[in-house]
Amino acid sequence: MDFRPTSDQESLVDAIDKLAMQFQQKPTEFHGFALAGHELERELQEGEYFDIAQVPEFGPLTAAMAVERLARLPFTAEIALSMLVRPHLPGDVPRPLAVVENGRPGRFVAAAKTLLVIEGERIAIARPSADAVEAVDSLFAYPMGRLKHSVDLERLSEADAANTRKWLRVALAAEVSGLLQAAIASTVEHLTLRKQFGRPLGTFQALRHRMAECAVLAGGVRWLTLKAAGTGDDGDAALAASHAQESATRIVYEVHQMLGAMGMTLEHPLHLWTYRLKALLSELGGRGGQASAVAQYLFQAPRSLG
Amino acid sequence: MDFSWDPEQRAFRSTVREFLAAHLPSEWESLAHGPGTEWQSTFSKQFCGALADAGLLVPHWPKRWGGRDADPWTAFILAEEMWEAGEPRGGQYMNVNWIGPTLMRFGSEEQQQRYIPPMARGQTLWCQGFSEPEAGSDLASLRTRADKADSTYRINGQKIWTSYAGQADTCFLLARTSPGRNGISIFLLPMDTPGITVRQIPSVIGEGDIHEVFFDDVTLPATAMLGEEGKGWDVVRTALSLERVGIPRFALATRMLHRAVDKLKQSERFGAGAIEQAAKARAACEAARFYSYNIVDQRRHGITVGPEASVARFATVLAERLVGEFVVEHVPEALSGADQMLLSHHQRAIVAGIASGAAEIQLNLIATEFLGLPKEPR
Repeated sequence: MDFRPTSDQESLVDAIDKLAMQFQQKPTEFHGFALAGHELERELQEGEYFDIAQVPEFGPLTAAMAVERLARLPFTAEIALSMLVRPHLPGDVPRPLAVVENGRPGRFVAAAKTLLVIEGERIAIARPSADAVEAVDSLFAYPMGRLKHSVDLERLSEADAANTRKWLRVALAAEVSGLLQAAIASTVEHLTLRKQFGRPLGTFQALRHRMAECAVLAGGVRWLTLKAAGTGDDGDAALAASHAQESATRIVYEVHQMLGAMGMTLEHPLHLWTYRLKALLSELGGRGGQASAVAQYLFQAPRSLG
Repeated sequence: MDFSWDPEQRAFRSTVREFLAAHLPSEWESLAHGPGTEWQSTFSKQFCGALADAGLLVPHWPKRWGGRDADPWTAFILAEEMWEAGEPRGGQYMNVNWIGPTLMRFGSEEQQQRYIPPMARGQTLWCQGFSEPEAGSDLASLRTRADKADSTYRINGQKIWTSYAGQADTCFLLARTSPGRNGISIFLLPMDTPGITVRQIPSVIGEGDIHEVFFDDVTLPATAMLGEEGKGWDVVRTALSLERVGIPRFALATRMLHRAVDKLKQSERFGAGAIEQAAKARAACEAARFYSYNIVDQRRHGITVGPEASVARFATVLAERLVGEFVVEHVPEALSGADQMLLSHHQRAIVAGIASGAAEIQLNLIATEFLGLPKEPR
């Protein structure tokens, strides 16, 4: 055990933070849900950041750190699946990637070059033509899209499907982790500045304790995510995704309560994180799906040493 | 970042497990071994003596005091295995975790020579005289007085919720030598000193755990004071920071969750509802584990541990709560005689958010020091 980031990890995270600087603020004129970061995506592509998990000195753990940091931005792009899932798919598939789960609309589907089509236990890969997908309007703060009609599917073997599902869980948890941090930071700022009854809201214990609990949950998601990315263990991935969806369910509610009417506006950026989190709550079977995975991988056999 | 154990750490964990297998009585899991019972206290001296002989009681202490200067990971692996086994060291875990180290840092040569060797041999029990009827979370308002007269102090007052007081040889006592926060001093008080009365408080935690302790004109030499007069608060802060992540509660909570799930599976009762709650509790246990590991890692690298200790503590409280609720809802028979191990854990788990500082005090610290929210007015 050693939780200090390596110098490679530190320098990569620094580079990501530098790149992210220009995308830190929501444009004041933007009053919508899906703030697509095309420019952000282009810069990540040019810097070859989508391939960092394959670089031996970085690996999936560093990629998870990158996903988490980029998820804190008000702009969004298809990053998590490209960085964390694509390296584990058979063959070299083009990005962006998207998931179509049981026929429902999904994040980034309309722009995806590769689709992961989940039907129950099965996962297949598809390369949709442009006319096979379309964008849909949504309350979720991602560009959402759907498959218009059936496409050719290349079904993954059981082993590949299980491995893909594992990395989808890590990607989900890493994205949730970053979004939670951003939502909490934004809320802390509001509670520090906004005064009622003559003092900042953040001095009221009824709010302080709830925010502190949110911070504990969000930090837990972060640890479980990093561990899952670091070990590549099925059980760790299931725990990370489970804790991510559990914690996000609670935190989304809490931060909106804290922001009051301000959090209802499209002027304030809070919804960019919370309405992304809401999109992630149902993915991969939701909490029930993650719980089944935890049961499958952790409650099967006697526990091993350490 | 590396999430794996190195070969030495694995070997050490195996050694501790082998020791436990060889030294715990065969009926250990079916015994009601509450941490403060007379049986547990007697057993702890035998067990800790054997641990000391095997070099497994205080490996993280300096060589001078019977240790081998092992790193914080060694100490924590040891603590995990002990707590997961049901803490056969009983109240002596306090000696190992914080009383010994606090005495090494603040004690006089005479105090160290008198008190540390029996701890290192596993032959002594201490109690912690902190809380009072009017001073719980607001510990600084404590009233127990220590009045100086020549070269002695006379103690008068009352402590409450004192764990292990009925079995303890010595009390780590906080008393007031003058008014205000800078008027608190610490005394090392032998429990057989005349004027001390101990009354056990029957509790849901089990026999012998919490007590009232009364001090009527208890006279101590001035040399019984630990550190300087009025500087007790600094010592307490050090002690509490050592204790806050000293108990790896998540380890036993995880084991008990698995035990409860195994029981459900054996009787084909591990259905969808139970699976969801079990997964939630298991993730909370794992989060608490890594929060605690993070503190150990910081200590290992010589980083001063900040509000992360409070975060780790609260994560542990959440985990204990979820496991407790899981057992109550899905394996209730365990609390009615069907499983002594689950019952003992359940009795002890209620303490998680209360002992060594209420969880709500941790939340305040997290809000201010970790999140950076403005302080509440006092």
